[in-house]
Amino acid sequence: MTATKLLRHETILAVLTVIALAVLASLSDKFFTVENLLNQGRLMSEVGLVALAMTFVIVTGGIDLSVGSILGLTAILLGVFWKNLGLPLPLAMLAAIACGTFAGWVNGFIITRFRVPPLIATLATLALYRGLAEGISEARSVRGYPEWFFFFGQGEVLGVPFQLWLLGLATVIAAVILGLTPFGRATYAIGANETAARFSGIRVNATKLWIYTAAGFLSALAAVVFVSRVTTTRSDMGTGLELDVITGVVLGGTSIFGGRGTIIGTVLGLILIQALKNGLSLSGVKGDGTIVVIGLVLIGAILAGALFDRNRGG
Amino acid sequence: MTGKGTPGAHDVPSGNAASSLPIELRSVSKSFAGIRVVHSVSFDMHPGEVHALMGENGAGKSTMIKIMAGLHQADEGEILVNGRVVKFASPKDAHAAGIATVHQELLLFPELTVAENIFLGQTPKTRLGTIDWQKMRERSRQLLDSLDSGDLDIDQKVATLSVGNRQRIEIARALAQDARVLIMDEPTAALAEADVQRLMAIVRNLRDRGVAIVYVSHRMPEIFALADRVTVLRDGHHVATKNISDVDEPALVSMMVGRAIDRLYPAKQGTDGDVILELKDVSYRSVVRGISLKLKRGEILGLAGLVGSGRTETALTIFGITPATSGEILIDGKAQAIASPEAARDLGIAYIPEDRGSQGLIRMQTIEENVALANLKRLMRGFLVDAARVTAEAKNAITKFGIRARGPEQLVRQLSGGNQQKVVLGKWLATNPRILIMDEPTRGIDVGAKAEIHLLMRKLAGEGMAILMISSELPEVLGMSDRVLVMNGGRIVGEFDKEHATAEAVGTIMTRTFTNGEAA
Repeated sequence: MTATKLLRHETILAVLTVIALAVLASLSDKFFTVENLLNQGRLMSEVGLVALAMTFVIVTGGIDLSVGSILGLTAILLGVFWKNLGLPLPLAMLAAIACGTFAGWVNGFIITRFRVPPLIATLATLALYRGLAEGISEARSVRGYPEWFFFFGQGEVLGVPFQLWLLGLATVIAAVILGLTPFGRATYAIGANETAARFSGIRVNATKLWIYTAAGFLSALAAVVFVSRVTTTRSDMGTGLELDVITGVVLGGTSIFGGRGTIIGTVLGLILIQALKNGLSLSGVKGDGTIVVIGLVLIGAILAGALFDRNRGG
Repeated sequence: MTGKGTPGAHDVPSGNAASSLPIELRSVSKSFAGIRVVHSVSFDMHPGEVHALMGENGAGKSTMIKIMAGLHQADEGEILVNGRVVKFASPKDAHAAGIATVHQELLLFPELTVAENIFLGQTPKTRLGTIDWQKMRERSRQLLDSLDSGDLDIDQKVATLSVGNRQRIEIARALAQDARVLIMDEPTAALAEADVQRLMAIVRNLRDRGVAIVYVSHRMPEIFALADRVTVLRDGHHVATKNISDVDEPALVSMMVGRAIDRLYPAKQGTDGDVILELKDVSYRSVVRGISLKLKRGEILGLAGLVGSGRTETALTIFGITPATSGEILIDGKAQAIASPEAARDLGIAYIPEDRGSQGLIRMQTIEENVALANLKRLMRGFLVDAARVTAEAKNAITKFGIRARGPEQLVRQLSGGNQQKVVLGKWLATNPRILIMDEPTRGIDVGAKAEIHLLMRKLAGEGMAILMISSELPEVLGMSDRVLVMNGGRIVGEFDKEHATAEAVGTIMTRTFTNGEAA
């Protein structure tokens, strides 16, 4: 019963996605090829990794606008640690990821300790982290990474891009945590009624702190994949990423008011957006047209969800 | 309408006797999703009477009210206004027929002034079509004066007013619509005692002006003080309509619950054990001041006092929501720092909060999700929540506490107040607490569910549970407690054992104004 209720929005999305895939396949014969689909998966991975964490954030009723800036900052730090400080690259990767994770923790700390609304707190760190990235990089890009490093962004395992494996693994872990563990239950409870969650002995602040830290970690992970894929580090990397991520999560049926949402929904939302972007450009639709279509699909999905919600009654 | 009424009855005055009734319902039935919640109920109102509508939660009162207010449409039966058959397709139709409702949740606009709220939707206009402010303010003034509420400032924003004052504005708004029938749904549920008296005076005033008042309340004293007639519903059926002079309280209660309730408060079972909880000079900022108390196993300790006297604040300090700023809390004789609700829970303390909707429950989640919430650590298999045990736990709570629900997967917000409270109880008793703090355990709950909760409290105490009960209802405090502590201004100002706890003694000390230091 519960499962079918919860999956209702996801079912609509799945149907929508299948229809979109079918239409796009009929528009261009290049779309439905293994090569193209795998390549699209590659392009989707960075947004996807961040969206997994963002699903948790939005389910608690929060938002994290700083994920794109954390990605940019991590990318810059990776270059600086390796090139300027002369750290071995593996160490530089770990250090940069640790910094990105810490940036997420700072978000959570500001939000839980000082009770700053997440929108305001992460709007501030959006500017702060981007500013730091630009200041540290001094507008210089870092190039010349060794060949083995490109494996994370361009390599394949069993014919499938490395980052798709990474995304797949992260998705399974996120889905299990959100759907099946006490931590997931706490996440939903906080989003649905924070006071009642606290009065039930849920560790509200600790839970939120973990979630914002995880958002930092996954953004940092995405940064490494991103740098590896494009072979260069630049300070404007990840600009606007937060909007793509939030679009995917909301399209996936997560309520912006908190308390509702699933990882499966988010994944479907991401696939639908990526398919539309790619399929429409293959069919010769200009970039602006693609954005319009994505906007329309988002509105349609939200309306359909609201309609079902109303029919559910109560 | 699939009416049973005689064909062609529309717009035909039906009988002289009925023609002046401001509203009459004949054999009205209503189903939701195939479940009949009102079975062929008839109900009528005379001008200038207070007609109490009583019944347990789920008896069909709300549905009846909503049918009269035009929010629901009856499946069968007919509604007559002044002897004419009418159909209310929307609340607007009901308004036009002179029927107004004062809702349980007051539907005012907090950012608008008193006058604007009273005339919202029917603002007086000047000839140019702009708002006639002068006329609006004058008429607001008149309306409030006629309700003996000349003390309200018509230019004040509603947001700044107390619940009692807001309610008077809602009543004024109904009068501004020339209401001939006023439906009041539990008007005193959220009011302090002084406001209750005031409201009752207003109701009498309206009655004397010929307004017919449908009065829904669980509070017996009000019913006997105000009502002329009383109609009792049970499980959607009409049980009886009587003149109030022909019934007494036990008779009403047994009509409502369908069985005789022999005594109002259950007797003590067993004897007290050791002291399990002790507070030594516990303070929290300036709201909890130097509280010392001892709570024994098997004891129900009542905490009396006015709202704001520090009762709830003391409970919140024990439960770790607002950890003590000084003093000691001892559990089983050992000093414990209770810094959070989870720490309190792990020490075996459970707190049933006063505000079910915002503190006790997650209304958009299911019964099983709510029941498991405080107990997730124990309902695990490996790293995961054991869904089967969560469901079993919820089913167990449903049978054990007699929660009326379709099943563990029903959303909590769809349950009645009493059943919601039982879900909160189920959630906390699942944690196997040894100390149970109950803050207003029966607020807004009907008689039957109230008696069940009282019985359960006694049973738990009999099994060795230590219960600290906070209640604003003096009869409940006096009836349930083995010992009563009275709070005033953040301090404990009196202690009474069962024999000496009388309404006068406790009430006096509750309301006395203490000068600084005297109470310590």
